Amino acid sequence: MLRVEHLTKVYENGTVALRDVSFTVEEGEFLVIIGLSGSGKSTLLRCINRLIEPTEGRIIWNDIDITALDEAGLRRVRREIGFVFQEFNLVERLPVILNVLAGRLGYVNPWWSVLYYFPKGEHQRALAALETVGLADKAHNRASDLSGGQKQRVGIARAIIQEPKLLLADEPVASLDPVLAHSIMGYLERLNQEKGVTILCSLHYLDLVQRYATRVIGLREGRIVYEGTREDIRRMTDEEFKQIYGEEAQRLGG
Amino acid sequence: MPKKILRVLYTLLSLGIPGLGQAALGDVRRGIYIFLGAFILAGLSVFTAAQRARFPEQVYGLSAAALLRLGLASLVIFLVVRWVYTMLTRRLAQDEFTQRIAEGLFVALVVVLFSLVGPSLIQRLLPEEALKQLYTTLLLGMAVVLAWLWWWNARDAWNLAGQQETNWNGFIALVMVGTVILGTRIVGIDLPKAIREYRETGRILGDILWPWRAAFDYKATELRATAKIQAPCPPGSTPPPVNEPTEEGPWVVVEPTCGELSTRDEKGKLTYGTLLHIRGGGFVPGKKVKIKWENPIGNEFTPRGLGPTEIRVGPDGTFTSELYIPDVVIPTFAKGPQIHKLHVVQPGALKFTGKLSREMKLALQAMLESIMIGLMATFAGMLFAVPLSFLAARNLMFTLRTSPQGLVGGVLGLAAGGWVGWQASQRVALWLGGLEKAPVAVAFFGFLLVGGGALLGFRLLGWALDRLSQHLPGWANAAIRYGGFALIGAAMGWPLGLGYAHGILGIVWDPEEVAAAAGDIARIGAGLGALAWGYLAYRWGNSGFVPIGQWVYTVTRLILNVVRSIEPLIWGLVGVIWVGLGPFAGFIALTIHTIAALGKLYSEAIESIHPGPIEAIQSTGANRLQTIMFAVLPQVLPHFTAFSLYRWDINVRMSTVIGLVGGGGIGFLLIQWIRQVQYEHAGLAVWLIAITVSTLDFISASVRKRLV
Repeated sequence: MLRVEHLTKVYENGTVALRDVSFTVEEGEFLVIIGLSGSGKSTLLRCINRLIEPTEGRIIWNDIDITALDEAGLRRVRREIGFVFQEFNLVERLPVILNVLAGRLGYVNPWWSVLYYFPKGEHQRALAALETVGLADKAHNRASDLSGGQKQRVGIARAIIQEPKLLLADEPVASLDPVLAHSIMGYLERLNQEKGVTILCSLHYLDLVQRYATRVIGLREGRIVYEGTREDIRRMTDEEFKQIYGEEAQRLGG
Repeated sequence: MPKKILRVLYTLLSLGIPGLGQAALGDVRRGIYIFLGAFILAGLSVFTAAQRARFPEQVYGLSAAALLRLGLASLVIFLVVRWVYTMLTRRLAQDEFTQRIAEGLFVALVVVLFSLVGPSLIQRLLPEEALKQLYTTLLLGMAVVLAWLWWWNARDAWNLAGQQETNWNGFIALVMVGTVILGTRIVGIDLPKAIREYRETGRILGDILWPWRAAFDYKATELRATAKIQAPCPPGSTPPPVNEPTEEGPWVVVEPTCGELSTRDEKGKLTYGTLLHIRGGGFVPGKKVKIKWENPIGNEFTPRGLGPTEIRVGPDGTFTSELYIPDVVIPTFAKGPQIHKLHVVQPGALKFTGKLSREMKLALQAMLESIMIGLMATFAGMLFAVPLSFLAARNLMFTLRTSPQGLVGGVLGLAAGGWVGWQASQRVALWLGGLEKAPVAVAFFGFLLVGGGALLGFRLLGWALDRLSQHLPGWANAAIRYGGFALIGAAMGWPLGLGYAHGILGIVWDPEEVAAAAGDIARIGAGLGALAWGYLAYRWGNSGFVPIGQWVYTVTRLILNVVRSIEPLIWGLVGVIWVGLGPFAGFIALTIHTIAALGKLYSEAIESIHPGPIEAIQSTGANRLQTIMFAVLPQVLPHFTAFSLYRWDINVRMSTVIGLVGGGGIGFLLIQWIRQVQYEHAGLAVWLIAITVSTLDFISASVRKRLV
């Protein structure tokens, strides 16, 4: 269970990205965060594994206070939290297999790993993860040779190999076309349903939200302005919609 | 009309001090610009003129007065001319275009008139002794410019008082012209000299531009025949035998083989000695032979004024000639009959042997040395620059922070670890047999132990105090903070105080006073340091973060910038003092500069990487080193390679001149040959440098293009 308590983030230039955000995520949930660009979605996700240091508030995950951890403790927690990025964030000049193996950096012997050496078992694990996302044949290509959808699948394989209990996904499909989007979201859904990984995912398209989310929270200007289930999204009123996306927003379809 | 009077008043103010009128009218900035422009130009004129004098301080006043007189005279002349000019153009020109043309012609006329009349005018206006000391042309030009400036300034004030705009262009153009005139003088640009003396350069330049004749060995194919002659010829002596003509090869027969030397008295009047009859044969027909005389000690020379020395050989290969025995100075201790030699020499074509000359071999060897100096310096530089560049990368270092308690622990650990390391290294050095016996091992273990100890202490104690502070009550943390910071401040202030006592600020003290007061001053320094750091402790508070990474970044950058801004040639001097003349000194110089230059380039490459992969690798639970190896290094490696190649290119170019200060390589040969006036050999070196550098430039550029 993940508990976010009174989380506030103020950047050094004075921008307030999050204001007193509190919510709870149960084990095995698929929580989707919606909101405009700049509403604080990315900041919220990055605060959870402390890629960004929160200014105030606490994040408690399975009784561990992540915000109070020292560096070594933080690394131990991070290796169990996967992260999937909008821009994939692969190391383009390294082969796919090393990009996937990077997911094991928190587990393996650090001295060997800095020489790009991983034990055989880890290699098999990485190949299996690539198999899951259907890219086993690309294992030795350079990551820069892949297409956008393939890159994101490698990104997911990197998260899978971490054997995460929690997966944070920051708009994982925003840079991909709609068909690819469903395939990527499908992988996340399988992780969620088959392995019981808790997923926190920020999304742009409401149809995707309705299709995959078990619960939804809406952020606007760093505040939670909406909380509901998948069914609530379907029944969402114009008023609620405008509360999340602002007065000028227009609803299209769904 | 008080308004008109005011206008005149402002103009007069500006005439007195340039810009004063404008400033009084409220446009202070304009006034300051004009004043500065006029003041700097006038000051520089006086300074430059006075510099030519032997005792400048005597001439300053003189030249200033002279300049003032000249300026005033020019102004008067200018005003008159100007008045004439306006009268003229008003009558003449109707439209703007004609007016412009007339204006231009008028200016040209004034310039021509001034350059014709100017010098004699100056002689009227200046006293004789001042004229000698002043550079007349400069002064004339500057006087005109300054007078013009004055006039422009007065008119500007006049216009400003009447609420009219004056164009700035005139002012800017005047200041620029003045600067160019002064610059010409200060730099010593002398066009006539350059034109007059270009021919001498042409000869030398030819040697440098096409030196390849000196790159190879040639065999001289000359025909030579020799006859022996005895002089003087006392009775009873046995002169050498007369030669016989031979069938093969050149021959010469000289008769008689014994005779008296010509003599020259004190006034240089020549008395002829014995006349020699010379016959020769076996030479190449139709070409000239040369007659040479060799004195008893083996010096060969061409005898002058004693008979023909260049004779054309007849169609059958023979010739005849006559020569008086030359006036050879015989030292008093060698009186008596001596054997001289007469040579008949017919120079033939030089024969190409296909072998490189000694100088060419030397130059090639030195060129190789230069390339190697550059290569090794680049390698060594890379080795040091890579770790340094990570310390000088903003994006990596700015995330590095620690708590104040952590900093206290870190600094204490640094000192303690360094001290323990030093003690250990002393033991190890003793065990290894001392610095003299095993310098590399001792230095290596010394660095390893001191550096490693300091680093370990820094990490361990920093971490320990940081952890501890989370379990301590606030007052205890505050105590650690204030106490530790004060200690750090005192440790920094102490040596500063001591240094001040010993006069690092250039203050010279009485040695006895220093001995007495040094302790006190050091204590004061320590106290001030503790106070300053105490303030920092107050400002940061218990929970504040110390941007330690930012400090490391700033210090590293500062050192890199300072080292980089000192040219390799100057580091070369340091290298020569350190390890003596030779390529090793050049290598040291280039390495030092390369570390700084590559460190900066590398760190900029690191700063320009995508932050995304760093986030991704960090969120897998990777530590700092893993993050660098996986997210940073793959991104910067192509840039590092490109910069290193570029630096190698620069280093080879630099290594060709590092020899000028004694750093080995081809520069060493080059400067030697230039100083020995062997321009052809110097040309070889220049060519080799040009070929090598441009080849490397091409290679490194094409490789780099493929990399990035």
